Amino acid sequence: MAVTGGAIPGAGLVFDPAPFDPGRAEGDGVADTGRSLRTALLLGWRVESNWTDPLLFLIYVVAKPIASLLLLVMMIEIIGAGGTGQSDETVRTYVVLGSALWATLVAGISGPAWTVLEDRERYRMLKYLYVSPATFLVLLVGRGAARLGAGAIGTVVALVFSVIVLGLRVDVTAIEWPLLVVSLVLGLVPILAIGVLLAAVCLQTRQESWSYPEAFAGAMFLVTGVVFPLGVLPAPLQWLGLVNPVTWWIEGVRQAVLPGSPSGIGGAASVWTAVTGTPAPDGATIVLALFVTGALATLAATVIFRRSEHRARDLGLLDRTTGS
Amino acid sequence: MAAARPANPVFATTRGGSDPRTASDWSQREVLASNGRALIGRAYPRIRGMAREPSWVFFEILLPFLTTSAFVLVYRALQAPEAYVGFVVLGGAMAAFWLNVVWMMASQLYWEKSQGNLELYFAAPMNLMSILLGMALGGLVMSSTRAAAILVVSTLVYNVTFNVEQWGLVVVVFALTLTALYGLGMILASVFLLWGREAFHMTQLVIEPVYFVSGLNFPVGRLGALGAIAIATIPFAVGLDAMRQLVFAGQPYITGTPSPEVEALILAAMTVVFGLLARWMIRRIERMARSRGSLSIRWQ
Repeated sequence: MAVTGGAIPGAGLVFDPAPFDPGRAEGDGVADTGRSLRTALLLGWRVESNWTDPLLFLIYVVAKPIASLLLLVMMIEIIGAGGTGQSDETVRTYVVLGSALWATLVAGISGPAWTVLEDRERYRMLKYLYVSPATFLVLLVGRGAARLGAGAIGTVVALVFSVIVLGLRVDVTAIEWPLLVVSLVLGLVPILAIGVLLAAVCLQTRQESWSYPEAFAGAMFLVTGVVFPLGVLPAPLQWLGLVNPVTWWIEGVRQAVLPGSPSGIGGAASVWTAVTGTPAPDGATIVLALFVTGALATLAATVIFRRSEHRARDLGLLDRTTGS
Repeated sequence: MAAARPANPVFATTRGGSDPRTASDWSQREVLASNGRALIGRAYPRIRGMAREPSWVFFEILLPFLTTSAFVLVYRALQAPEAYVGFVVLGGAMAAFWLNVVWMMASQLYWEKSQGNLELYFAAPMNLMSILLGMALGGLVMSSTRAAAILVVSTLVYNVTFNVEQWGLVVVVFALTLTALYGLGMILASVFLLWGREAFHMTQLVIEPVYFVSGLNFPVGRLGALGAIAIATIPFAVGLDAMRQLVFAGQPYITGTPSPEVEALILAAMTVVFGLLARWMIRRIERMARSRGSLSIRWQ
């Protein structure tokens, strides 16, 4: 039934006599979500890039991943890869690719978490975003995707730097493009999901949580086979790596870009080889495992975020500011 | 003749004067007491906050320990000499101080501006240096806890063996490293405040690159000229190298850098220079804030 207008007796105020259409509050569904996502993405990109000096932005995007890369390359240069049974070049290539991808991962998981902190503590906009017609989760994903984009630029720059300066050899004709594209696309979803998970944490914590995403990424560095194979780890930690979509994402991209390179999942002393009896997972297995673990991680992140959001609303955390 | 104004009871009872002008003429002891209170007041939330929200134990001790473990395992995978595991563990512990300087010193005044506290600092009857010192003191307690936890846990888990021959010098170098680091943090706080929004990007910019040029996971001497420049300019680099030389005495892998005594002198010089520079910069900032009235405008 349509609600009609009326007047407040004695107050001299008159409602708009036009009937209220409840359909207007329901929005346009998917179209609205798409528009919110686009707007959040654009805003995120502008916060990242347009508000700063372009040169500084470029240095920031380039310097961070290259420094991380050099830190690891230097470790290999000092020690040499003799103890691993592989050549220096093979180990360096393995490490370089993993480290370059890490720039995208760190940016992707930092994005939604930092959006919460920025908009709550610095710009004081979180409560207004929350009550806007756009879905809060969509806004966070959009802002996070923008930061992930900046991180992806860092990955590309780090790879170009590795090819030109560090002599990384990538045979473009040998790249398995379908595996690369599928792994990249499938992997970005759980990365943003982990970012949403950290946003859920940051909704509950204080301003000092800025460093939490990097700390979380640092911990994942241990169990995802980024710079050394999982076989180096104790079995329980290897299992932790195998259920982590980031492990499969990195493995997928690595096997696509450098077919035949050492596996980060299988091999001597690895749980994978012990259980399956195969030296390494093939492309189809990697994609399937990435899809399954990614879907589970995304589902878990969404559930945890909803609970965190509910608690934040309940305790009035959406517009609090903290400091120390 | 104009009648004498009646003494303001507030000034007369609390500040020992009869009017604002007389009341604002503070003795040296009152100035010191006020700045001391500001220092303690600024350090208090950082120290007390550790108990109020224990989630930092997970995110700032356990997770960084895992990061350190990742680098330890890189060396183990490469079958590096065990000494390198010790280098990584010490680097991981000392990194806590650098992260604290970057996140909670350098960026802090900019965040205070965004939160609306900065104008209160400028208006309050105290020296802004006492606010910075309070931030440093509180930050030191926080990061010392984290550094100690990483050091102890990693040492036990990875069986790191220390060989200290000069305990006195270790203490001196450690103290000088912290004073130089936090002195640099005070300078960065002023600089980041001027840079505004770009401060956040600068925060990002000075973490990994500084780790690399300071030799977080390897002896900085291996970087050659780049390492030498780092030792001459970055307290984290020189402090970490000196600490490594002192707590892993006799290790043949630490070469190409000055002796710990010389590095202690470099750190002492950095402490003095950074301290004076920070004092000069914060005065400039304060003057700018008052004359332009723009520094306390948020989100610039």
